[in-house]
Amino acid sequence: MEGRCPRCKAVLWHSAKHTDTISFAAAISGLILFYPAITLPILKFSMVGQNGSNSLIGGIYRMWIEQEKMLAILILLCSLIAPLMHLLLTAVVCLSIRLNHFPPHFPQWLKYKCWMQSWSMLEVYAMGIIVAYVKMMHDGDVSVSGGTYCLCALLLCVILSSQYFYEEQAWQHWEQNKPA
Amino acid sequence: MTTSAQQRGIARCTECGKLSHLPDLGDNSVASCPRCNVALSFRKPQSLQRSWAYTVAAIALLLPANILPILTVISFGQGDPDTIMSGVVKLWVSDLQAIAAIVFIASIAVPVLKLVILIILMLVVQLQLPLNRQQCTVLYRFIHFIGRWSMLDLFMISILVTLVHLGNIATVESGPAATAFAAVVVLTLLAANSFDPRLIWDLDDE
Repeated sequence: MEGRCPRCKAVLWHSAKHTDTISFAAAISGLILFYPAITLPILKFSMVGQNGSNSLIGGIYRMWIEQEKMLAILILLCSLIAPLMHLLLTAVVCLSIRLNHFPPHFPQWLKYKCWMQSWSMLEVYAMGIIVAYVKMMHDGDVSVSGGTYCLCALLLCVILSSQYFYEEQAWQHWEQNKPA
Repeated sequence: MTTSAQQRGIARCTECGKLSHLPDLGDNSVASCPRCNVALSFRKPQSLQRSWAYTVAAIALLLPANILPILTVISFGQGDPDTIMSGVVKLWVSDLQAIAAIVFIASIAVPVLKLVILIILMLVVQLQLPLNRQQCTVLYRFIHFIGRWSMLDLFMISILVTLVHLGNIATVESGPAATAFAAVVVLTLLAANSFDPRLIWDLDDE
């Protein structure tokens, strides 16, 4: 069953049995995968005997030293900080709910989680890898490396942890059980 | 005809989504959400002004983003700077039509479409144009969903600049359009976020 807005037909509420177990598990798995996903090489490129490779963090660093500082900061936010904070805050919020212990900063955490979620663009980054791969295919040998697999698994964790997280439920939990 | 929450004196918190009765206060006092303490209002404050400001700024930056070079692929000392459009054309002529279409949609179609739709929606609210409210809402949802995909080109640049860094044999350099384009993407995201789609439906209630 679900309730919809009588004017624009957006889903306002649905009665599916809410569980944050999957969200919690996905957030923890994502955090474990995070370090290899950003540091391992994503693609490898070779041309007349010379080899090059890139990692997510390496791409940001190179943009920074090539004086594209604004761009480096934006990419750092959307592909690294936002997904990391999103997973971290999801894990912390789920843990608080499970332990029924709500620290005073719990409402801020929930709000930051939403903000970070809206700026996390790993799925677009994954598409960027595909475009870069195809673009360089004719110029030399491009091959997919370990970082891509970690990044795909991380992306899956990010999607699962946001799909199975019910904000309204988290707010209600806090409202009913918050320390007076 | 449905009654809106505003007509019943109920405001929805922008941060946590809690509904609460908002009494008619004077100009100087502010009510805050009982759950998360954020200032309450019936609609996003200064929604239209903010959206217009971001939209105008984005349109202004769209020009340098499309005219200036965004990427230069240099192999064996040769290579011309590419603008966004010439990059798409190069992909198309080298038989990579699918990727050319993806880059075209993400870097040209989405930002332009997004700005056009935002302007239409804001004009609908300001001039009270009789467009179908349901369709306007669908358009808003569409630009909200699609906006982030414009970042594709920027991520691709960051990947290529690092990947193809082979000294004299081949290098990829980013151009000044990249920063302008990044600003366009961020500004259109902010413009879409500050627009309140409920303003479209409010026209029926007046």
